[in-house]
Amino acid sequence: MNTFTALYPLLSVVAGALCVLLLEVFLKRKNRDYLGFVAIFFLLNAGRECIRLWNRDASYFDGNLLLDNLALFLCLILILTTLFVILISMRYLRLQNANYGEYYALLLFALSGMLIMVSSQDFVVIFLGLEVLSMSSYALAGIKREDERSTEAAVKYFLLGSFASAFLVFGLALLYGAAHSVNIPAIVGFFQAENSLSLMALIGMGLVIIGFGFKIAVVPFHMWTPDVYEGSPTPITAFFSVGPKAVGFAVLLRLFDLFWNEALHSEAVFTGLWVMSVLTMVAGNLIALRQSNIKRILAYSSIAHAGYLMVALLAKDNAGLVFYLTVYLFMNIGAFAAVTALAKKDEEYTDLEDYKGIGFRYPWIGATLMVFLISLAGFPPTGGFLAKFYIFSSAVREGLIPLVIIGVLASLISVFYYLRIVVYMYMHPAARTIEIDAYNPSLFLVLFLCLYGVLQLGIFPGNVLIIIRQAVSALPIL
Amino acid sequence: MPILSLITFLPLAGALFFIFLPKEQKNLFRIFALMVSLLTFLASLILYFRFDPTTAEPQFVETAHWIGYGINYHLGIDGISLLLVLLTTFLFPIAILSSWKYIQDKVKEYHIFMLLLQTGILGVFVSLNLFLFYVFWEAMLIPMYFLIGIWGGKRRIYATIKFVLFTMFGSLLMLVAIFFLYGTFFNASGFYSMNIFDLQKLVLNPQIQIWLFLAFALAFAIKVPMFPFHTWLPDAHVEAPTAGSVILAAVLLKMGTYGFLRFALPLFPDAVERFVPILGILCIIGIIYGALMALIQKDVKSLVAYSSVSHMGLIMLAVFALNVEAMQGAIYQMLNHGLSTGALFLCVGILYERAHTRMIEDYGGVSKQMPVFSAFFLIALLSSVGLPGLNGFIGEVLCLFGVFQANQTWAILGITTIILAAGYLLWMFQRVMQGPITNEKIHGFKDLNLREIMVFVPIVILMFWMGIYPNTFLKKMEPSVNHLIDQVKNRETYFAQGVSGPAVISAPDHIPARPPFPDNKNHKDIDSR
Repeated sequence: MNTFTALYPLLSVVAGALCVLLLEVFLKRKNRDYLGFVAIFFLLNAGRECIRLWNRDASYFDGNLLLDNLALFLCLILILTTLFVILISMRYLRLQNANYGEYYALLLFALSGMLIMVSSQDFVVIFLGLEVLSMSSYALAGIKREDERSTEAAVKYFLLGSFASAFLVFGLALLYGAAHSVNIPAIVGFFQAENSLSLMALIGMGLVIIGFGFKIAVVPFHMWTPDVYEGSPTPITAFFSVGPKAVGFAVLLRLFDLFWNEALHSEAVFTGLWVMSVLTMVAGNLIALRQSNIKRILAYSSIAHAGYLMVALLAKDNAGLVFYLTVYLFMNIGAFAAVTALAKKDEEYTDLEDYKGIGFRYPWIGATLMVFLISLAGFPPTGGFLAKFYIFSSAVREGLIPLVIIGVLASLISVFYYLRIVVYMYMHPAARTIEIDAYNPSLFLVLFLCLYGVLQLGIFPGNVLIIIRQAVSALPIL
Repeated sequence: MPILSLITFLPLAGALFFIFLPKEQKNLFRIFALMVSLLTFLASLILYFRFDPTTAEPQFVETAHWIGYGINYHLGIDGISLLLVLLTTFLFPIAILSSWKYIQDKVKEYHIFMLLLQTGILGVFVSLNLFLFYVFWEAMLIPMYFLIGIWGGKRRIYATIKFVLFTMFGSLLMLVAIFFLYGTFFNASGFYSMNIFDLQKLVLNPQIQIWLFLAFALAFAIKVPMFPFHTWLPDAHVEAPTAGSVILAAVLLKMGTYGFLRFALPLFPDAVERFVPILGILCIIGIIYGALMALIQKDVKSLVAYSSVSHMGLIMLAVFALNVEAMQGAIYQMLNHGLSTGALFLCVGILYERAHTRMIEDYGGVSKQMPVFSAFFLIALLSSVGLPGLNGFIGEVLCLFGVFQANQTWAILGITTIILAAGYLLWMFQRVMQGPITNEKIHGFKDLNLREIMVFVPIVILMFWMGIYPNTFLKKMEPSVNHLIDQVKNRETYFAQGVSGPAVISAPDHIPARPPFPDNKNHKDIDSR
């Protein structure tokens, strides 16, 4: 249905960003915290619009913007991510002297880019969204202007991100040359009619995968991740670890959902993804073992999780992939929120040594962080277990048994470093007492919501699963 | 009344309720946890009295829709799990009571984890859905991890991580096997199920069975632990707090044997037959190796830990003998081992609380100072050795009877477990409790107080009861054991007799690379029940 209402979520987000920018001029610096509430208002409105569009298959711009249920579900995930990130940031920014108004505006712009990406099937539009996202991300990574590492993160992200974009564009050009279209169904339809992939198309596909592989941080395109995650302000790290990853997988899901069928089942592409998945799971988890900074550990853990998500992609388990992303949102944002909570004026505690004994010193933060880590490690009865369960069980059904065995063993490695953090929190006496700024209501709200999400999805996922099945059943069938 | 759910989740509810208790009221926490566990025990007694011992069908069955796709909430117990549930609920109040003084630090958290652990363990024994079983099986690791890691000894972190990683390694491979089974079942029958009774009807190609059996057996063998997967056990035992060791030895290890009985044997009978010779040899190595290791230990606690390896070896040997006597003996011996090894760990705990050392050489002549304790220690020890009149005797005799019928060499080698146990345990007793008092500290030892006596009394009563009138428990499990043996040995005839539901479902030889699966998008939730 071609209707202008399809634009409402996007417009609401962009309007929010502009509004924040405008208001910033009139507000004194100490009052800029209130801008967060403006942003939240527009986000909630965007979320409401998404829910109203459910099951309506709204589209606009000749179908270039297509809000099917999958897109809407992913939009909601992304809006929720941004909402959580804003709630985590409000107090943090003031403590870290980074409460610039453009922070919220940039977050909303980044979100708008992501919304465009998940709700389009046209590679040029997707690329536009990607650039909007990337530009805002580069600025967000360096938002702590006085901090050298934040600046370093921004520059690294920018340089490598530009490379990735170049790969992507080049790949798109080749695909266009081969298939005479930039529209995903049209491209796949063309290949299907030809019943083979030309070499040019194959290289194009490869370059597109590399471009997105950078965004979703799979090995060997992950090099930027630890540095950027470590240098960026912690809430932004949380944002990077969930948002762009969800978007990247959403696009790959749309592509491969059509691409994986008998005729086009290209061994080269499949093997390439298989190898990437294994490398990502194994390398991500192995390198994480050696880290001593919690942000770096979580960075490598997020790389490893990209590997598990690749398994879902290979297993053609769309529902499993989306479910994993949903769980991942709660557990990863939750973990980063807990890390953010351990901060005071001008100081953040990210070294593992600082975590000694905090489990008993700050029982609530400790306990929630523990649950998130356990969920990331994949223990029942948390969402992380069920998410892994779904994707690995569909992978076994597809006959990818070696991949699954490697995957579960990799997750065994991950148990070690997640539990290592718990060991520091609960089993070492406090080395030095750290003081934190404990008044942080919005952050505790996020912690609570994420905890709820992780447990709800782990114990009673029924309704969410039904919604996700509805969402993925909306994918076009060729 | 959903009594199984009540029993399983009562400790969990108690643990959650701890949030509302006021801070720093150590005794309140202890009393509250004790009350919850006692209540659980009383509730489980209902199970015992209302259990119908004439049938092997699962009883007190509860089903509810949970996630769908065959993943349902499905509880029930038969004669085997009944006894293990009782053992668990019986030992938890004792474990909590025994840590009254030992745990002075972080008392609240300690009891929360104890109660969570109880829910996890009970869940394992009552689940009839493979998924639910796996959830409890894994979830129970977390509280145990904390119990060892926070309240343990010097090398607690090493021990607890080793414990978790070892167990996880096995269970993750089992998880892959579960996926495979799940997929195969769907391909064969057209509907999803994780119900173990459905899965047992699946007749698998022997070649596939071997792989699946290996995955399951590895997970359970690590838990038991069977030689050569036992290396985590001495570490975990030595480092764990007393109550942790008691629970670990008495109940956690039984989860491994239970896994064999409930899943590995009935699901993969062909593979079992094939592997029995190898597994039997591993058991015998475990028996002798564990006993020899126990002989040379300098630390009382690791001595008891190695004696566990040896005794569990005998239990597994009896399981693999695959006949009714041996199986009954194995299950009976599981209970015995829970009581006697639990009691031995309690004794070690009592000594440790007084002298803060576990080295045998630091003791000597303790019985002069602590005559009451000495009596309890001796009873626990003799029960472990298998003195007639005490519980251990019945179990060991049944086990060895059965094993003798299956394989005489095994039985002859298996009998060393008793001889060597008498050796290392009595020798330890002699060095610790008798002789002259060499250590000055021992003069200051006080004998057991009322609380400590209360810890031992129920166990000792039960030891005598089980030794004198074993029928109380044997008759409850008999039909279930017969049923199990029937399933493993005469599978075809067993199903041909037409037990409820569709008869045997034969599975295709392998999961086709592209299964006749409805596409992921069009899954219909067809559910068997």
